[in-house]
Amino acid sequence: MTYPSLRERRTRAPATRQASRPTAPVARTVVLLGITSLFTDVSSEMVAAVLPLYLVLQLGFTPLQFGIVDGLYEGVTTLVRLAGGYVADRWRRHKEVAAGGYALSAACKLGLVAAGGAWGAVAGIIALDRTGKGIRTAPRDAMISFSTPPADLGRAFGVHRALDTTGAMLGPLVAFVILAIVPGAFDSVFVTSFCAAVIGLGVLLLFVDNPARQAAVPPAAAAAGPGMPPRAVARLLAVPRVRALVVAGAVLALATVSDGFVYLTLQRRASLQVGFFPLLAVGVALVYMLLAAPVGRLADRVGRGLVLLGGHLLLLVVYAALLAGASGVVVVAVTLGLLGAYYAATDGVLAALASAALPAYARSSGLALVASGTALARLAGSVLFGAVWAVWGLQGAVAGFLAGQLAAIAVAALVLGRHGEVLGRAGPAPG
Amino acid sequence: MPGRRLADPPSGTLPATGRRPRRRVLLFAALCTACVVVAGGYLALAAQRARDVRAAAPVAVQAAAPASLDGRPRLLFRSTALDSTYGKLALVPLSRPDGPRVMTQLDCDRVYMAAGRGLCLAADRGVITTYTAVLFGPDFAPRHRLPIPGLPSRARLSPDGRLAAMTVFVTGHSYAGGAFSTRTSIVDTDSGRPLLDDLERLTVLRDGRRWRRADFNFWGVTFVPGGDRFYATLASGGRTWLLEGDLRSRSARVLRGNVECPSISPDGTRLAYKRRMPGIRVTWRLHVLDLATMTDTPLAETRSVDDQVEWLDDRQLLYSLADGDRPTAVTDTWVVPAGGGGSPRILAHAAFSPAVQRG
Repeated sequence: MTYPSLRERRTRAPATRQASRPTAPVARTVVLLGITSLFTDVSSEMVAAVLPLYLVLQLGFTPLQFGIVDGLYEGVTTLVRLAGGYVADRWRRHKEVAAGGYALSAACKLGLVAAGGAWGAVAGIIALDRTGKGIRTAPRDAMISFSTPPADLGRAFGVHRALDTTGAMLGPLVAFVILAIVPGAFDSVFVTSFCAAVIGLGVLLLFVDNPARQAAVPPAAAAAGPGMPPRAVARLLAVPRVRALVVAGAVLALATVSDGFVYLTLQRRASLQVGFFPLLAVGVALVYMLLAAPVGRLADRVGRGLVLLGGHLLLLVVYAALLAGASGVVVVAVTLGLLGAYYAATDGVLAALASAALPAYARSSGLALVASGTALARLAGSVLFGAVWAVWGLQGAVAGFLAGQLAAIAVAALVLGRHGEVLGRAGPAPG
Repeated sequence: MPGRRLADPPSGTLPATGRRPRRRVLLFAALCTACVVVAGGYLALAAQRARDVRAAAPVAVQAAAPASLDGRPRLLFRSTALDSTYGKLALVPLSRPDGPRVMTQLDCDRVYMAAGRGLCLAADRGVITTYTAVLFGPDFAPRHRLPIPGLPSRARLSPDGRLAAMTVFVTGHSYAGGAFSTRTSIVDTDSGRPLLDDLERLTVLRDGRRWRRADFNFWGVTFVPGGDRFYATLASGGRTWLLEGDLRSRSARVLRGNVECPSISPDGTRLAYKRRMPGIRVTWRLHVLDLATMTDTPLAETRSVDDQVEWLDDRQLLYSLADGDRPTAVTDTWVVPAGGGGSPRILAHAAFSPAVQRG
């Protein structure tokens, strides 16, 4: 097992797992990528926060048009994510591909200023913005994994996600301060958003190093020439441990009720005032931000698969609370805490699990594969929930997803357990 | 970064930051400074531009109390003039609709008023944007505040002021994402309590039979004078229908297709509405439907209008459109004959969401 050691400011000792060891500081690259994400999220969330206001109240978009634009968000990301992941692996240019994605999204903020009220142009720019997000995600996560010893991956992703979420919470604040100064100055919001994105991009370009790797090509492909053939990505699915992660991630996501439906159910079951809606989302983000790093570290210690499954067990409690329809305040508090903890225990932890299972030469392709499988399953789960709701009613749909989530956890435990992922016995992947 | 290939040192990262780290820090400091200057400068420019627009096309305000217009035919609307009145509810006498305005202290994104009762839908912009429906009295003082679940879209009252209907877009929040839907409710203006908290609870009949779909969306209520009947839009599967509803029986029947945001004439004989035109681009043309004969008349306004129109009288219609030459925040109120023919003209500049008070 010759996992490429990519630790910074550490000795060149091979990064093998140790049962107990002193905690090393989080890698510089992880923190820097986190800061890049923080600024980028300030940039994108300040636009996202005012976009409904801008499109509907300012440009006079209709619900229908708004729906089309919103739908563009989802579909584009998945396709491009796979392409971005592959290109980064193929030419071993993770930093450059990620930077391209960040730069594209930054440019789109200026595009919004230039587009004015032309709705076709606005829709196209938003799609491009999402393209940028799709491109950068997998190479960036791969860079996090390359700069972290395998034993510390959970914490590294946790720290990154905490910084990322901090930016997401600051963004709307910045946007509305600007609109309070000059009413209707949406172009000023977009220009400021562009500047925040440029600072994030600057951190990446100036201070983050492109990871160099040993054994960066699969042995079989090495003879054929530099880089990785597209076939190698498909072949990843033939690797049992990788396939197990894709399947587990997708199955768990399929039986997950999307946040929007959770809030809607809360509102109906617990007679919550509708004004609480956005407050719920902020509460969840806050808990996620606070818990991401400690829960990631916990995952490194007790087993990432265990924490991932534990996160989904928390969802069971959320669904049970929704079914019980207990008094408003209790349900709200429980939901905020549990949903935030669920995100902390799943998002970064799944990336850590995947990073440890994926060979270095196909790291970002594989991360994109796992993330896309999860995203598509989540989308399908959303449609499924709507359909079940129509047939069985809201109560029935939540009950159905409670049962489904339980079954998914069982399946995921089985699949992951077979590869020793649950208790973290699995060693690092062959490089 | 040339030369960063596989042949580079075998372990660890390339010490790119090790090479002249000082220069990189300085470069980053310069970048941050430039960004702050650009963002701050642009904001200052936007503030200056807003002042210029105000100076170039001043909207006169008269220092009078709203009560000074009591009893006279008047128009009320949301001011979209880029000055301190932006977003506030304003009043003008119908005899001089583009003349000096009387301002109220209410901030509204959508507003309506009838028989001394008013409905103001407002976005409370902040770190967390929340939305409120304010029911106010003849003195423009709030009587009831109700939280609403999304962006204000349509506001209407029954001619007697007893019933208020509101439509909002329930959008995915930036953290949550997700699809859009509308939510329409009808409240009692006296008590502030909902009579129908969601039109989804209506029993919908189509060709005499119960019709149910999970993707039903309702919007744009208009109340029939005297009584509990109303018209509204029902959408499902990307198409829209005209609904005739009854509040007492909580039922509604589908009348016909492709009618959005109906608005009933003061005499109760016609509905003005926006009709979706064929094509990839979403555009609407204003039409008037005669309820006795169910015949349509297209109006002289050829631009796409996305608004629930207001009847100035039984012969003329009001609606809001953004001015293409000015910042998008500025919306004017236009008037067009209701019988077809004629041509549209601006009734009041920088005015949005008009509501006519006939006395």
